[in-house]
Amino acid sequence: MEAALPESARGGVAKPSSEADARRRRAFIYGLIAFLLVASLPFLPVNNYIIAAVVRALIFISLGQAWNVVAGIGGLLSLGHGVFLGIGCYTTGILFNQYGIPPWLGVWVGAVLSLLVALVMGSMTLRMRGVFFALATVAASLAMVQISRHFVDLTGGADGLALKFFGNSWWAAQSRTPAPFLYASLAFVTLYYWITRWILNSKLGLEMQAVRDDEVAAAAAGVAVFRTKMLGLLVSAAMTALAAGLYMQFYMAIDPEAAFGLSQAIQLQLPALIGGLGTAWGPIIGGAVMIFLSEVTNWGGTKIGVSGVDILVYGLMLLVVVLYAPKGIVGSVLRNAMKGADR
Amino acid sequence: MNAPAVALEVRNIARNFGGVVALRDVTFSVREGEVVGLIGPNGAGKSTLFEIVSGNIRPSGGRVAYFGRDCTTMASHLRRRAGMCRTFQKVRLFESMTVRQNISVAASQCLPKGRDLGEEVNNILAQMRLEHQAERRPSELTLADRKRVEIGRAIAGHCRLLMLDESLSGLTHDEAEHLIDEIMQLNRARGITVIVVEHVLSVLAAMVQRLVVLHNATVIADGTPSEVAHDPVVIEAYLGTKQKALR
Ligand SMILES: Nc1ncnc2c1ncn2[C@@H]1O[C@H](COP(=O)(O)OP(=O)(O)O)[C@@H](O)[C@H]1O
Ligand SMILES: [Mg+2]
Repeated sequence: MEAALPESARGGVAKPSSEADARRRRAFIYGLIAFLLVASLPFLPVNNYIIAAVVRALIFISLGQAWNVVAGIGGLLSLGHGVFLGIGCYTTGILFNQYGIPPWLGVWVGAVLSLLVALVMGSMTLRMRGVFFALATVAASLAMVQISRHFVDLTGGADGLALKFFGNSWWAAQSRTPAPFLYASLAFVTLYYWITRWILNSKLGLEMQAVRDDEVAAAAAGVAVFRTKMLGLLVSAAMTALAAGLYMQFYMAIDPEAAFGLSQAIQLQLPALIGGLGTAWGPIIGGAVMIFLSEVTNWGGTKIGVSGVDILVYGLMLLVVVLYAPKGIVGSVLRNAMKGADR
Repeated sequence: MNAPAVALEVRNIARNFGGVVALRDVTFSVREGEVVGLIGPNGAGKSTLFEIVSGNIRPSGGRVAYFGRDCTTMASHLRRRAGMCRTFQKVRLFESMTVRQNISVAASQCLPKGRDLGEEVNNILAQMRLEHQAERRPSELTLADRKRVEIGRAIAGHCRLLMLDESLSGLTHDEAEHLIDEIMQLNRARGITVIVVEHVLSVLAAMVQRLVVLHNATVIADGTPSEVAHDPVVIEAYLGTKQKALR
């Protein structure tokens, strides 16, 4: 892996104004408060329904952060990141149900398979214009739908795959209550936040941003454009597949539509799009807003007997962001509050 | 003393865009340490030649050699790492990154072993007089400073041949004078070979030892500024209408 750049070669470090320092400190403190609040939920008078909703938010933040790496930092528009989610879920599930391999191991197999698929997709398309990569991700999603429907014995076909239930079990990474998943997903969000921050400040991250901004100029600056894109895609695919392990243990089931469908593909993109592409805070804030609004509207929808309102809400949120905050919440709305802070 | 090495040799280069002949049978060479002007009217093929030499596009025919090594099919980022550096006619910076990061990303690709990256970036910032702009983003800079950043990014890390595509155009007289000073300083202090594309001939005449004239996709003259200025073919084809520009 690439070494981090020395302090003096980074942006914003040479002459940090005291104001930027204060903002950075404030962002850290808010983050810490949010972290502690979430971590203490099981000890507060909060029911499991709410905790489960928070877990959903944290899982989508993790997945969104993974997409953010390739699309936000790297500028590669993946419209089918569900491929890596699905490969992660199905691999973990099949290995567990059919071969009794615990998800602790299965998830790594899923990550390796995702890396292989990313490698094939990348080497076929990343030397061409960006639109070909975007199309390839869509094509791969469609192919995966067919594959997962076809191998019924392994995947359960169109009905999907449900994990054999073992109750509370460390070995099977299963739990009757959502609290353990709360800590697991919180760990993922924290880890992925730091990974994103690390990438943004690393040599690889600068190269990815250079390629995102201008490929021709990046090559003229000595950046190996293809290799940089490929590395970004691989990191993102592995992050997605690992978070998929958590997804599978929490939801206990996967089906072709949930893994490779259009609405899943959109949900993977929303946290970063709403929160702010290419920032480490973006997917966190965007994912929280996204799940909060969808929970509220779904709850309201059930009251009046309408289901599936969340998809509509996602669409509306995206529209609002594109029209009024094209750089996302972090980039547009909180721009001044977070100026100089590590976004 | 030995004769200086040939830094760049362009031999029989040709390039078509569909039916448009942008370059045909272009041959010339540049010795190490020279400052050479490449002139010619709009559409003569100057930028296309830079694109080919830097590896951004492939020639339809001909060879490019860099310090004696054929590099016609070498990837452009590898040419840059070998010290073949360029700017673009329309400035191309990494707009979301700070000036420091713009320079740093290039410097980190090809810094010789044992040199400190932070120090190199600071040196370049100082050399291009960009210290006070280091934490700004390109969109906050004047055109002159944007061109400085692009040159800084071009030479960062390792540079033996610098190709400037109209880096002086669009600047005020003073800005252009300053930039020329800096370019000549790079040539003298760092021993960088320079090829300048420009159509403001009066500025070029003061800085270059040699002019290569491109007209209708091919080289029509190659010599000292005064030789070129008195070349009947050049006067006929190009300068005849632009005598004033030369003075
Ligand atoms: N990418 C391209 N596609 C089609 N035609 C091009 C392209 N680049 C350059 N040309 C054509 O090649 C010729 C030379 O262009 P150029 O190298 O930009 O000239 P100069 O830099 O001397 O003004 C022009 O006729 C131009 O229209
Ligand atoms: Mg040109």
